[in-house]
Parts: sequence; C-alpha cells; structure tokens
Amino acid sequence: MTPAGSLLEAHDLRKTYGPTPALDGASFSVHPGEVVAVMGPSGSGKSTLLHCLAGIITPDSGTVTYGGRELSAMSDAERSALRRSDFGFVFQFGQLVPELTCVENVALPLRLNGVKRKQAERTALEWMERLEVEDLAAQRPGEVSGGQGQRVAVARALAPSPKVVFADEPTGALDSLNGERVMELLTESARTAGTAVVLVTHEARVAAYADRDVVVRDGRSRDPEYAV
Amino acid sequence: MTWLRDLGLGIRFAAAGGREGWARTALTAVGVGLGVAMLLVASSVPHLLEQRSLRDQAREEAAVSRTEGGVPKSETTVLRAGAATVYRGREVEGFLMRAEGSRPALPPGVTAFPAPGEMAASPALRDLLASPEGGLLKERLPYGITATIADEGLRSPGELYFYAGSDSLTPATGGHRLAAYGDDTPGTPLTPVLVVLVILICVVLLAPVAIFIATAVRFGGDRRDRRLAALRLIGTDIRTTRRIAAGEALFGSLLGLLAGLVFFLVGRRFVGHIEVWNHSAFPSDLTPAAWPAALIAVAVPLSAVLVTLVAMRSVTAEPLGVVRGSGIRRRRLWWRVLVPALGLAVLGLTGRVDEFTPVDPYPIAVGAVLVLFGLALLLPWLVEACVNLLRGGPPSWQLAVRRLQLDSGAASRAVSGIAVAVAGAVALQMLFAAMGDEFKQITGQDPARAQFHTYSETVGGDAATRTIEAFRSTEGVERVIGTVETYVTRPGKVEEGEITPTTSLSIGDCATLKELAEIGSCEEGDAFVVHPRNNKRMSDWMDETARKGKEIELNPTIDSNPGARSVRWTLPADARTVTAAPDPLGEEHWGIMATVGAVDPRTLPAARTVAQIKVDEDVKDVAEHVRNTAARIDPAMRVAALTSVTRDRQYESVQTGLRFGAVATLMLIAASMLISQMEQLRERRRLLSVLVAFGTRRVTLGWSVLWQTAVPVVISLLIATAGGLGLGAVMTWMLAKTVTRWWLFLPLAGAGGALVVAVTLLSLPLLWRLMRPDGLRTE
Repeated sequence: MTPAGSLLEAHDLRKTYGPTPALDGASFSVHPGEVVAVMGPSGSGKSTLLHCLAGIITPDSGTVTYGGRELSAMSDAERSALRRSDFGFVFQFGQLVPELTCVENVALPLRLNGVKRKQAERTALEWMERLEVEDLAAQRPGEVSGGQGQRVAVARALAPSPKVVFADEPTGALDSLNGERVMELLTESARTAGTAVVLVTHEARVAAYADRDVVVRDGRSRDPEYAV
Repeated sequence: MTWLRDLGLGIRFAAAGGREGWARTALTAVGVGLGVAMLLVASSVPHLLEQRSLRDQAREEAAVSRTEGGVPKSETTVLRAGAATVYRGREVEGFLMRAEGSRPALPPGVTAFPAPGEMAASPALRDLLASPEGGLLKERLPYGITATIADEGLRSPGELYFYAGSDSLTPATGGHRLAAYGDDTPGTPLTPVLVVLVILICVVLLAPVAIFIATAVRFGGDRRDRRLAALRLIGTDIRTTRRIAAGEALFGSLLGLLAGLVFFLVGRRFVGHIEVWNHSAFPSDLTPAAWPAALIAVAVPLSAVLVTLVAMRSVTAEPLGVVRGSGIRRRRLWWRVLVPALGLAVLGLTGRVDEFTPVDPYPIAVGAVLVLFGLALLLPWLVEACVNLLRGGPPSWQLAVRRLQLDSGAASRAVSGIAVAVAGAVALQMLFAAMGDEFKQITGQDPARAQFHTYSETVGGDAATRTIEAFRSTEGVERVIGTVETYVTRPGKVEEGEITPTTSLSIGDCATLKELAEIGSCEEGDAFVVHPRNNKRMSDWMDETARKGKEIELNPTIDSNPGARSVRWTLPADARTVTAAPDPLGEEHWGIMATVGAVDPRTLPAARTVAQIKVDEDVKDVAEHVRNTAARIDPAMRVAALTSVTRDRQYESVQTGLRFGAVATLMLIAASMLISQMEQLRERRRLLSVLVAFGTRRVTLGWSVLWQTAVPVVISLLIATAGGLGLGAVMTWMLAKTVTRWWLFLPLAGAGGALVVAVTLLSLPLLWRLMRPDGLRTE
C-alpha cells in the first residue's frame, strides 16, 4: 500500500556502488508542507536515498514518483529542470559558490530558472532578511562564519519557492547553538511557504524539528507511512 | 642545513606520495621535460650552424684556386661549373666536373671522381631521382648515379646535391679550374640587421618556454598546498611548509630535467628523417653547447624552488585548510610598467642600427627581454583590473567573471606565455614585412610579363636562335621575349687614350623588340636606334657607334684579338630612333635593335642568348619544363625566377616559420592552460556536483568554462598586440625601416581565439564527468 496524497514517494529502491549495496529495498514518502527526517547511522544509505529522491542519481531498481510523474522515466534534462523549478538543496558545508557574493549565491537558482538578475537579487534579499543574514549580501562565502553560511544556503534553497527542500546533514558542521537556529529558520520558513522538507540527519536533536522520522539501516528504510 | 632538511623532506613526500603524488609529479616532470627538451634543441643551434658551415666550407674551392690568373693545369686539377637548379621549389645544388689529370682532387664525401655521364649524388637526391616524383628532374640530370656522397660532404641529410662528370667542359664553356677543396677564409659575420632579428627570434621563442617551465612546476600545486595544511596540524611552521612544498617541486623539476634529456636524446635519433621547410640536420649536429646546457641544469631546479616559494607567499597553509590571499592583495602597477618602459628605453638609447657598423647584441637582447617579460608582468595587473570592471550577464558569465575576480592569478600565469609569444611574433612579423617590402622595391621586376629569365654566355650564333625556339615550343610557355645580344663597335682606329665607341646590338623578332622599346610599327628587316630615357649623354655616346647608313663592327673581340675576323654590317639609313622601355626585369636596353631579317644572328662571332619567358602557371610543373629545356641546351645555363620569387619565398618561409613557431609555442601554452583548467575543475568537483543538484544545465557550466578561459586570453592578446606593435615599431625604427603592415597581428590573434576554443572543448569531457553526483558523497 502506498501513502495517499503524498507529494514525493519512493518504493523499493535498490542501488549498489560496486559490490556494496547502498539501498536495498528502501521506501519513502513526504506530503506537501511536511518535514520528514531521514535518520540512520553513517553509511546506512541516507544520502543515497536523498539523491535518488531528488533525481540526482537513478536507482538500479524501484520507483520514485513526484507529483504523479515517474522520475526514472524522465530524461536527464527533464530531471534537471525539475530540480531547478521544484526542488531546493542544503548541504552539510553549505557548498556556496565561493566566487559569488552571498546575495548572488541565493539568487543563483532563480537566475538558472531564467529570472532577470535584478528581480532574482530582490527576491534573494527578501529571503536573506527572513533568515537574518541580509547584512552579508555583499560578502563572499569565505568571509562569513559557518552558521551564517549555512543560513545563506537555506535562503538559497528556499528562494525559488520549491515544493521540496532536501537537506543533507544541514547542521553537521555547526555547533549546537548555530545548528538549532538554522533548523528553526529552515523549518519555520518551509512551513510558512508550504514547502516539504526531506531532512537527512543522524542526530535525534535535529530530527526533533521534523513532523515524523524515517529510519534507514543497511539500505532499508522503515517508513511508518508504508504498510510493509 | 634546515633548508636542505626541509627540501629533502619535500622530495621524500613527493616520492612517497602514493598514486596521486606520483601522478602530480609526473605531470610536472612531463611539462618541465618538454620545456627542457626545447631549450636543449635551442642550445644546440650554434653547434648545428657551425658544423653546417664547416662542411659547407670544406667543399668550397681552396683559396689557392682563386689566385690571380688561376692555377695551372696539373694531374690533380679539376674543371668545375656550377649546375644548380630548382626543382618544385627545392634547391638542387651541384657541379659539372671534369678531371684534367689522373689524380683529380676529390671533394669531401666522395671516394671516386665521377666519369663523364655519371654522378655522385646525395642520398636525398638519389632517392628523389629514383622515385616517380623525381621523373622531371631525372630528365634534367640524366646521369647514372655511381656513388653516394657521404655525410661529411653534405650540409644536411635532406640536401639535394650532386657532382656530375662531363667530357665537354672547358674553360671556354664555363669550366673553372680548381686544385683543392677547403675554404679556410673566415665566414662573413651576420649583418647587424640579422643580428637584431636573431636576438629577437631567440627571445620570442625561448621566453614562453621559460614561462611554461615556471608554470609546469606549479602543476598540481593546489592539491600539494592542501596537504601542507595537514603538516601544519602536526606543528610545522609556515616557513618549513613552504620549503617542503619547494622540495616537492624540486623533485618534479629534477625528474623533468631527466625527462627532457630523454625526450631530447630520443628525438635526436629521428631528427635526420625530419625536414622542415627544406631544412634538416644530422643527429650529431644537435649537440647542446656546454654552458647553456649547464645553465639549464642549474636554472630549472632553482626556478622550481623560487617559483614555489614566491607562489606560496600568497598561500597561507593553516592547520585546518589553505587560504589563498591573492584575491585580497591588490597588485601594484608602478613596478610592472617600469620593466617594459625600461626595455623600450634601452632599445631607444641603443639607437639606429645601420647595415655596416658592428652591433652590440647585448643591449638589444636586454631591451627586448625587458619589454616582453614586462608584458608578462603587466598581465596579472591588467587581468585583475579588467575583470573587476565586468558586471552583469547570464549565470555562466557571472560564474566565470566572479571566479576570475576572486583569483585571477592562476589564469594570468597560464596565459602570460601567450602575451610574450604573440607580442614577440607580432614584432618580428612587422620587421620581416618592413624588410620584405623594401626588397620588392629594389627589384622592380614585373612577373605579369614574364616569370623566368635565362641567359647563356656559351650559346651563340646559330644555337642562340634555336634556344629561343626551344623555349617557345616548351610545354606551358606562352611567350618568349628572346634576344641574341652582342657588343658592337665603330670600325676604324681611335686616337691614343680614347675609348672605342661601343654599344649593344639586340636581335629579336618584332614582338620581342616591341617589349624592349617604344617601337610602334615594326616589320621584318627593320632596325632601330634605341636611346635611353632621360640620358642625353648616353644617347650621344651610343650615337657615335650607331651611325645611320654607316658600317658597324659586329665582332667585339676585333681590337683585343689580332687574329679575329672582322664582321661588318651597315645600319640602314632609314633606321628609326626610338626610346627604350623597361623589360620584365625592370631594366632598360638601349643601343641598336634589329630584327632577324636585318641581321642574321648566325653571323655573330660572339653572342649571348637572353630569354624572358612567360608561362601559363596553370600548367602543372611548367617551371620544371622550362628548366629542363634550359638544361638540354646548356647544363650550365642560368634560369632565374622573376619577381624576387626566390628571395620572396625565403621571406615567406621565414615568416611562415615564425608563424608556425608561434603557433607551436601557443600549443605548448594551450597544454599548460588545459592542465591548469583541468586542475581547477577537479578542485571544484564538489561544487560542480552541488550545481548539478540545483539543476544547472551542462551548457551553462560549459559556457562558464569558455568565458573563464576566454577573458584572460583576450586580455593577454590585447596587451600582446599593443606591446608587440610597440616593440615592432621601435625595432623597425632601429633598423631604419618603415612599418608597412600593422595588421600582421590578426593571424596570431586568430590563433589565440582558436586556442580558447580548443582548451574549452578539450576540458569539456572532464567537466561532464565531474558533473556527476559522486562529488556529493561524503562517506
């Protein structure tokens, strides 16, 4: 049985890297506006699951469906277009483009979607304001702290108004205070905008910000939404 | 001691750096090796030229043969006449030889004197004649090859050279007597103008190689620098880490020296088989001079250490990572401008170089080096200043520009070689163009009227008429302006101390005479008195011989040879006086001109045949047909191509050579840019993966790479063009020439553009490969 009304769902995903299985029959679902934490120990396959869900990699078998469309049936260009328009990303180390200023980083996904530069930077500034980093607009990522950089990364993920934000260990490189602030801002903003969040973490403290947890172990997921 | 310990540690790290460490070292070694091999080739050039010159002089006639009155005939003397020709654009040198005794002197490389109808040929000529390609040349050189000239008798392995035996050669038919070989007179030194050119060529071709080596020792430097952070973590201070980094670069450069030596030695083995613009060299000629070789051996490792230490000044290896400071520290302009300005000042103070005064090469070399290296120094400042002005544009442009704004040092380093190579090549092209134009003005030849000029002193009388007919019936010949010429005198005695009035007599058909003088109407049997234009004195002098209705002596030897037979002819009383017109050679003929009906050339006791030949250039091998006809009539007949074709072609080939040399240097730089680009892409593997995760199109990143390559290259081409035109103008002024072609930078700028596209295209596969999600994996 699959969960009804889900925005993004995966069923029986399998993926191996060489002889090592990363996913071995994982399933997952997320509803619009829902924050779901994907938990599990290191090497359990959390990130691989996230990459499969975002269409960054294709699973060896199984299905990922977004808005009723099968991701594996889409071309690489279509999946890229989907990521540009409907998905947002936050990574562990922010992964801001070092040569761009913070506001340009936040505006980048909008610009990749064809939004004019001035309009994109205006929207970016609004998001930076919401995430309390508007002072950093003209600075480069190398000139800001880890916590500030991560908030800029969250602004970048949310600026194009995505339907789903994928956050891979977003607080992994931050101290607890900064980590909590980033999580508060991320989840609040997402809920306000009606954006679903897929949050990969191995910290229960971070997972506490989610509406529900999905545990991944040895490549298999335990999603309560699914009746196995 | 600390230094040695740290450098040694760096060497140990490089040698024990695992697969990645060895790959990085190999990259540096191959890069440095290519540069070192080029430097070794360059340092071999003096030896190569010296050996060629020695072999060339060894086969010249000995000075004793050139004494006043010549050498007496003996058992060892030889009669020799030059029989050089050109075959499909390649020079074929050789001599007709006739032994005067039983022990003829042998030229170097020949073990037996060629018998009549036989020849000793160089290996290249032997192979050419044996091949279908040499069929037409075989007609011209119909001798049986009985011996091969050994290396010591040849300038280069690809030289086309022969000694052919003759049984008809006499001093009267052009044979020159010689008693021995080996010209020990000192060679003519290079003219000051050529010295300047050679200096500039050396600087232009070698400076980018030096820059390439300096860049190559930094290959893989980014990853090496990151490892230094790990050393800092365990307590190493900044100075020590820099010395360790220098040690790693030193190891790569030492391996590069070895690699360069191997490349050079392996390449040298094949050099005899390689021919560039009809030039080749024996492997033994490629021997590097001792002091430049020693300089290379010392300078390359030393520069590796210095370059790394200087580069590390802008890198701070902290225990938790590497911080690059080049984006923060602004570059200063004043000392960068000072260097090329100083170079121009040195050149200006050296002043003008004339054709005859010996020139001191050092100030010119120093001036040119300062200007060219000054451009390389100006480039990083200019790139930084220009990219800081760039704004807006699509994401691909923004990504590229912002990247350059953050750190343009690596990009500037990679393209600084372009600035030097292109600037130098532009300056040289301007010099060559200025010299070539002047040469054309001197010749004044008109290739539209005739492309070949032949003359023979030994074909007279009856044979002369047949010669012209033979050329007329040659395949591809459209028209022959052919005359039989002799000197004629006024008969009778002259006063003591006076000169016998003399003028020239040219006999040809009406069509020919119309080409040589403003004759108007002409019929067979007509004769003309042709006056030079604007030279009344000469007209009066020739009128003393060309007296209408009076007799003229047709035997020019009548006064000097008491036994000579007098041949008289009366200049018709109705002969018209006309004005001379320039012939296709640009020369004026004056004197008496007569049609064959007026003077039968067969009656002339001594004459020479002159023919200017117009051919249909669409006929294949038409030049070879003309030369074959000439050789059939007289193997020693001179055939010259009109218009400066020969010398122009030399200029063309030097210019083309320079262009190819510059393109070869650009390719070396392209390799360096490509490696630098690939390194940067690898460095950004994770970031690229993130951009892919966003859904960034491949084409966006592809354009970004293109802009990132193109912007510094365009700026370097701009500065190179400006600098090259400036240097070229100064050098042209020094040689007292006029700059005629400012646009010569365009082909080089085009080559620079092609380089950008090539580097981008070649780096795209790696970019596509790195645009995979693998970079996002952290576990």
